[in-house]
Amino acid sequence: ILDDPDLKDIDPTVLKHCHAAAATCILEAGKQKADISAISTCLEDCKLDKERIEQFCTEYQKNKDALEILLGSIGRSPLHITDVSWRLEYQIKNNQLHKTYQPSYLVTLNVESSDSGSHPDISFSCTMEQLQDLVGKLKDAAKSLERATQM
Amino acid sequence: MLLVLSAEHRAHLGCLPQAGGAVVGELGRLAMEQLRRGTAPRACEAAARKLSIGVDTIQHGVEGLVYLLTESSKLMISEVDFQDSIHVLGFSDELNKSLIQLYLDNRKEIRSILGELAPRLPSYHSLEWRLDVQLASRSLRQQIKPAVTMKLHLNQNEDPTAQVLQTDPATLLHLIQQLEQAMGEMKMNHCRRIVRNMK
Repeated sequence: ILDDPDLKDIDPTVLKHCHAAAATCILEAGKQKADISAISTCLEDCKLDKERIEQFCTEYQKNKDALEILLGSIGRSPLHITDVSWRLEYQIKNNQLHKTYQPSYLVTLNVESSDSGSHPDISFSCTMEQLQDLVGKLKDAAKSLERATQM
Repeated sequence: MLLVLSAEHRAHLGCLPQAGGAVVGELGRLAMEQLRRGTAPRACEAAARKLSIGVDTIQHGVEGLVYLLTESSKLMISEVDFQDSIHVLGFSDELNKSLIQLYLDNRKEIRSILGELAPRLPSYHSLEWRLDVQLASRSLRQQIKPAVTMKLHLNQNEDPTAQVLQTDPATLLHLIQQLEQAMGEMKMNHCRRIVRNMK
């Protein structure tokens, strides 16, 4: 805003204060999920006239959803799984043991960290039975999710 | 498939014919113990004293047997091939028979011991899960954000590790779909044909 040609006549300090105040107001409103009447009342107390309050509220309404999504994504959480890849292989021999003839799965979970954005993927191997166990448990979780949404 | 024994190996096993049946049995037992637990010099000394043979001879004999057994088990050679391989050593029939028996009796165990030496990725152990709903955070009040929190237990070279992970319902369903597809692959004709033909 300091470079905006329309605002160059105003004292930069005042501009900064206005910007900070507006930003804080918007963030608080977003955080509390305040509705239009609450915002209007607050702005009336700050002695803004009706036209400005209406302008502010219209702009706020337009961007409310994006604001909520942004605020909701701030915060710490455990590593978040974003995707999974798998590979099926059939082992024939290794340097210690020949004729092993064993199928196995290599599963890689792509994970994202809330802090740094990327994290080395988690890979592990499993047999057919172990994969069945894993999928069974994931399906139990999904079923309980479904039941929770129906409550 | 025949086993090729080097000259040094043959020399080590050369002590067996003079030794006699009981000694061969004792050496076989020592060889298996060495495979299970590693070298035991004191056990070899005790055997040397008991059988009145030099410690070095006993040591070499045990090492020779260990190598013979591990190579045969690694390649999974048949009884006939094993017989033909040791034939070159020129042992008596009785000695040959005891060696074959030693091989057949312990082959499975030796293969499972060798199997543990192979390079391994962390392997799956188990999964615990929990359904969470986030209701509020420092930046946003009044939320309803469902998530599934999981603890993935893995084994890395016998060390258990646990990793706490989280996912949202949509990703969970995607994971289930992908992994079910993976499981289905094993039952496809392509995989079945390969497994059948590779034995």
